[in-house]
Amino acid sequence: MAVDESGRNYTHPVYGYAESLPGADLFLTKADEFLTWGLKNALWVFPMATSCCGIEFMAAACSRFDMDRIGSIARGTPRQCDVMIIAGTITVKMAPRVKKLWDQMPEPKWAIAMGSCAISGDFYRDIYSVVPGVDTFMPVDVYVPGCPPNPDDLLMGMRRLQEKITQVRAGTWVEPELAPDTAGFKRPEIGRLGDPDRDPRTSQDQLDSVLNLGIHGEATRAPQADE
Amino acid sequence: MIVDHPDTAAWVAERFGWQTADPELGPQVPADQLVALATALRDELDFAYVVYCVAVHYPAEDEIQPKFKEGEEPPPVIPAKPDRCLVTYRVRRLGPGTTTFGFHLWVPTGETCPSLVDVWAGMDWQEREQYDLVGVVFDGHPDLRRIMMSEDWPGHPLRRDYAIDTRHHPWR
Repeated sequence: MAVDESGRNYTHPVYGYAESLPGADLFLTKADEFLTWGLKNALWVFPMATSCCGIEFMAAACSRFDMDRIGSIARGTPRQCDVMIIAGTITVKMAPRVKKLWDQMPEPKWAIAMGSCAISGDFYRDIYSVVPGVDTFMPVDVYVPGCPPNPDDLLMGMRRLQEKITQVRAGTWVEPELAPDTAGFKRPEIGRLGDPDRDPRTSQDQLDSVLNLGIHGEATRAPQADE
Repeated sequence: MIVDHPDTAAWVAERFGWQTADPELGPQVPADQLVALATALRDELDFAYVVYCVAVHYPAEDEIQPKFKEGEEPPPVIPAKPDRCLVTYRVRRLGPGTTTFGFHLWVPTGETCPSLVDVWAGMDWQEREQYDLVGVVFDGHPDLRRIMMSEDWPGHPLRRDYAIDTRHHPWR
């Protein structure tokens, strides 16, 4: 079993069990744990990189930090990916496209909000065209704060996501992650997903807005007077 | 025939009679002469490249009497100004001795600005951006659609009378 100097075990218990066997050629585990191990070590990433956090994401994928070593390969299509990393400011024009891409990803899927713009809009949140946080229209599993976060922080977020996948598939109750505290900022008028004050019609309106996007991006819906 | 004139502002003053007060803004051009000036700049002075086309919205202003002390000559009254847009252009001459030249145009709200797409194809997206954000309507533009904001956006967000905290249901 791989144990570092502080005595912390960094590997899955399956490894320890396998290594304890004589010769370690035989591998005994529960099928569910084996599938979990395969799932969490092959998280293909869809980079929803719209601004400067995308540069840090690229650095995390390159050789110094090398996200490939935990099985995270960036793919340019949502249909082959497990994790969407939203790295950057999402505008009102971009939001239906992001939701459309998110809906195209096959289950099981997870989302990481990378950087303060994706988490809350940060100092762009009061601008007329910026969505105050992607969790106003799609579920987010892990928040990686920073402006922009270091590649280390993104890798830490991937580790947190791996731990979360392990716990959820083992049947453990995992507390839903909350957006980092943005005290002192005005709360967005549209509640976040899971917020008890959120208007339940909002999700349906967002879905309608995505479905009303034409094939070339033209809106097929006339602008409403009260918008 | 291409003329290598060292001072474009002097060339324009000689040719059209418009003086340049501010070299950044360049001469003020009447709307009906805009295409003629642009064509002359392109064909005769070889200004082939568009640097920018930028519009700024100015709200309506009342008549202003500047303050003055008693017994002095009252300064002239600044006349009232309508709701209007300033459209500024800047073009570049390529090749040796490269230089830029700017000119501008005042467009009152409700009137249109002549499009320069037929003169410089690079004006296409520049004018679409100004229409989208400031709301200047370019007469003769072949495809005047929004380019920055979403297709169903209400209003033009860089106008002074735009409420910046306008909600955009269901996204913000």
